[in-house]
Amino acid sequence: MAKCMVLRGRGIVEGRCKAEALVSTKPISFLGDVDPETGKIIEKRHDLYGVSIKDRVLCFPHGHGSTVGSYVLYSLAKKGLAPKAIINHKADPVIVVGAVIANIPMIDKIDIGKINSGDMVEVDAYKGIVKVLKAEED
Amino acid sequence: MKILVKIGEFFDASRLIPIESAHVSGVSYKTLGEAPTDFLEALANAGEKIKVEATLNPQSLDPKHLAMRLPKHLIEMQLKLCGIFEKLGFIESFTCTPYYIKEPRKGAHLAWAESSAVVYANSVLGAWTNREGGPSALAAAIIGKTPDCGIHRAENRKPRVIAEVKVSLENEVDYGALGIFLGKILEDKIPLIRGLKNPSLEDLKQLGAALASAGMVNMFHYKDGIKVEEGLEKITVEPKDIKETVEELTTTTQKPDLVFVGCPHCSLREIKEIANTISNRKVIGDVEFWICTSRHVREKAKAYVRRIEASGAKILTDTCAVVTWTDKLGIKTIMTNSAKTAHYAPTLNKAETILAPLKECLKTALK
Repeated sequence: MAKCMVLRGRGIVEGRCKAEALVSTKPISFLGDVDPETGKIIEKRHDLYGVSIKDRVLCFPHGHGSTVGSYVLYSLAKKGLAPKAIINHKADPVIVVGAVIANIPMIDKIDIGKINSGDMVEVDAYKGIVKVLKAEED
Repeated sequence: MKILVKIGEFFDASRLIPIESAHVSGVSYKTLGEAPTDFLEALANAGEKIKVEATLNPQSLDPKHLAMRLPKHLIEMQLKLCGIFEKLGFIESFTCTPYYIKEPRKGAHLAWAESSAVVYANSVLGAWTNREGGPSALAAAIIGKTPDCGIHRAENRKPRVIAEVKVSLENEVDYGALGIFLGKILEDKIPLIRGLKNPSLEDLKQLGAALASAGMVNMFHYKDGIKVEEGLEKITVEPKDIKETVEELTTTTQKPDLVFVGCPHCSLREIKEIANTISNRKVIGDVEFWICTSRHVREKAKAYVRRIEASGAKILTDTCAVVTWTDKLGIKTIMTNSAKTAHYAPTLNKAETILAPLKECLKTALK
């Protein structure tokens, strides 16, 4: 049986979606870490190196680095390469601004350690709720 | 406006406060790309104009040395983007060190993007600014205000962690490495860094630039006599932490194609030091040597500039190695004294890196 877990945080940019989670334990700087042409993580030291963030519910602790990251998120959205939602432990204002102009639902104050890559998640950023539908376990 | 309201809501700001200046990032077409350029064009075409003193981050071109060497369509897109900023009311400042053009007043509220300048303004100059995203700094420049939140509030500027530095930092590279090391572990917690021995302003510039590259913290304290609350978390920084960080930021033992100094843009004092070390020497044949600064500092450094350029080194204004297309100039390996550049160059320049202090950079670049 698939199990459902509800995590409550703070909704920052409104929206709802359901998609597969992609979880990182490392912070992300959209400028530098993400290739705006492919949506893949290109920072070799990153735990998601080589993975595409397109259409995933992207969960990572927080942002860092360049203030141009907001625009990179916007670029990704215009090319259809953006994540479906962003879930953080602590939101970075640079990413908040990017999510606002790119219309990407965003929630923070979530214990992302409870989500695994591959879990199907339902995001309700109006209410700040992430429902994790765990993959079936034996 | 929606941007600022969202940021305000997010930080529980109850009001907007007037700002003395804004500094806007997202000016290089290389880092910005097409869609954000269209976004800015729409804003300019809607008749928006900036209301406060505002400066621009570096673009991707230097008018003298790079404009002829890059593909025509990229040059055209950059010039278009510069035209958009002009229409919005900006003057051509193009620097990541706006504080060398005009130092903000102590205690002044600012809305600055460019993470290195944010940390320098808060930590060294005592001005107050959050680390704005490019679009929110622009929005603040247009309305002349920013949400009263984050480190615009005194209670949020206190140290929340003590970083005890148990190593003697020998040069600007060590300071940069300290920034990268701390940036990775601090999240958004402002540190009180103890144990720095007479850092120069340029050392602190390197520390802040690296701190902001690796982390999201917007300021650090470093002076004696800062009051701290009881029971603050403590971190110690050991010699191996600095050594390992420097080693991690060097990816090759090959000879560099480019020696690059000026991230963040050089101060007058740095240019003077470079000119004095160069003296009458020449740059070796198959290496490019770039020294990046603002037009403003270049103008003040005229006598030094002549001496430096006589060596074959290039003083670039308006840009830097990170925000221009070094890969399209055939540059595969970059030697730099900037931990920030060494951090970004593998992805943003597709280049191998060598992180070494200015003295070694000069030794490598000159005959």
